[in-house]
Amino acid sequence: MAFTSDLDQITRAAAGDAAAVRALVNRYSPGVLALATRMLGDSAEAEDVTQETFIRAWKALPSWEPRAKFSTWLHRVALNLCYDRLRKRREVLPEELPDRADPSLGPQDTLDQIQRVKAVEAAIARLPERQSAALTLCALQGHSQTEAAEIMEVSVQALESLLARARRTLRAELLEGRTVS
Amino acid sequence: MTHSMTDDRLIELIEIWGADPASWPAAERAAGEALLRAHPERFAGVLAEARALDGLLGDLPEPEMPRGLTEAIIAAAPRARTAPRGGRQGWFGLKTPWAPASGFAAAALGLLMGLTVAPTASANDEMTAEVQELVVSALGFDTATYAVEDVE
Repeated sequence: MAFTSDLDQITRAAAGDAAAVRALVNRYSPGVLALATRMLGDSAEAEDVTQETFIRAWKALPSWEPRAKFSTWLHRVALNLCYDRLRKRREVLPEELPDRADPSLGPQDTLDQIQRVKAVEAAIARLPERQSAALTLCALQGHSQTEAAEIMEVSVQALESLLARARRTLRAELLEGRTVS
Repeated sequence: MTHSMTDDRLIELIEIWGADPASWPAAERAAGEALLRAHPERFAGVLAEARALDGLLGDLPEPEMPRGLTEAIIAAAPRARTAPRGGRQGWFGLKTPWAPASGFAAAALGLLMGLTVAPTASANDEMTAEVQELVVSALGFDTATYAVEDVE
């Protein structure tokens, strides 16, 4: 949707227009939830992050200045909330981190569809957080090179480097020996 | 704007962005596709690997919105302020009806004070001319006279 349309919707939502509020939520919440789910690997936490992201958006709307696209800003807020949670996990409960990798899923196993999906999700969740974010934004959510770089507040070159490393790791983990194809 | 494309850069594009040219950066897409069409054999291996990974990533389901999440988000959203019945105009078309009302209240209180306090004072108390004049100008009548009449 065009930027002006975005701005119009934001202006109306800030004034409390119920239809505009609902339209913003319907349009952006699935993407925010998907990003948080991939980053955190935990649906309850992803739900919290999605809600918190929009609460921040509602607070910001009255003084909203369109320096960035609303979508970019919203995903950046969500991403930073995910980073915060991942850092807290590492600081507070390093020994209790869930091992999202299923040890039974070795390269020699025959994987059905569900197992394959779980293996891919686990491999993404094991990536360093910025690689995971880059991969999720670009490969899974279809953000453009520029959008993803803006959301992550990195250069396009840095984004490409993160993506290259993420995909290299996934290739090594998931395609080694062609057991998963 | 046209970009020159090298084999190395095209391999990077495929490895970073996947096998589908639609996912490559727009500025390099046309040049990349042209090189790929011209020499498909050079990129067959990297393309096959990228397709396999793209397939795995593409199979991931979108997380479903949890029940109630949308409504919870909407419930926290800004709400339109409801205008008072009959529009935003108050008394006599004034937006701040309390302003004149407070003036009336002050005047009424002053009058009540005058009526209450004056009888307690003796009609024989001396009142200076200046004070009497001030009271008359403020209330519009002479409390001393009023008090005398009341006593009589």
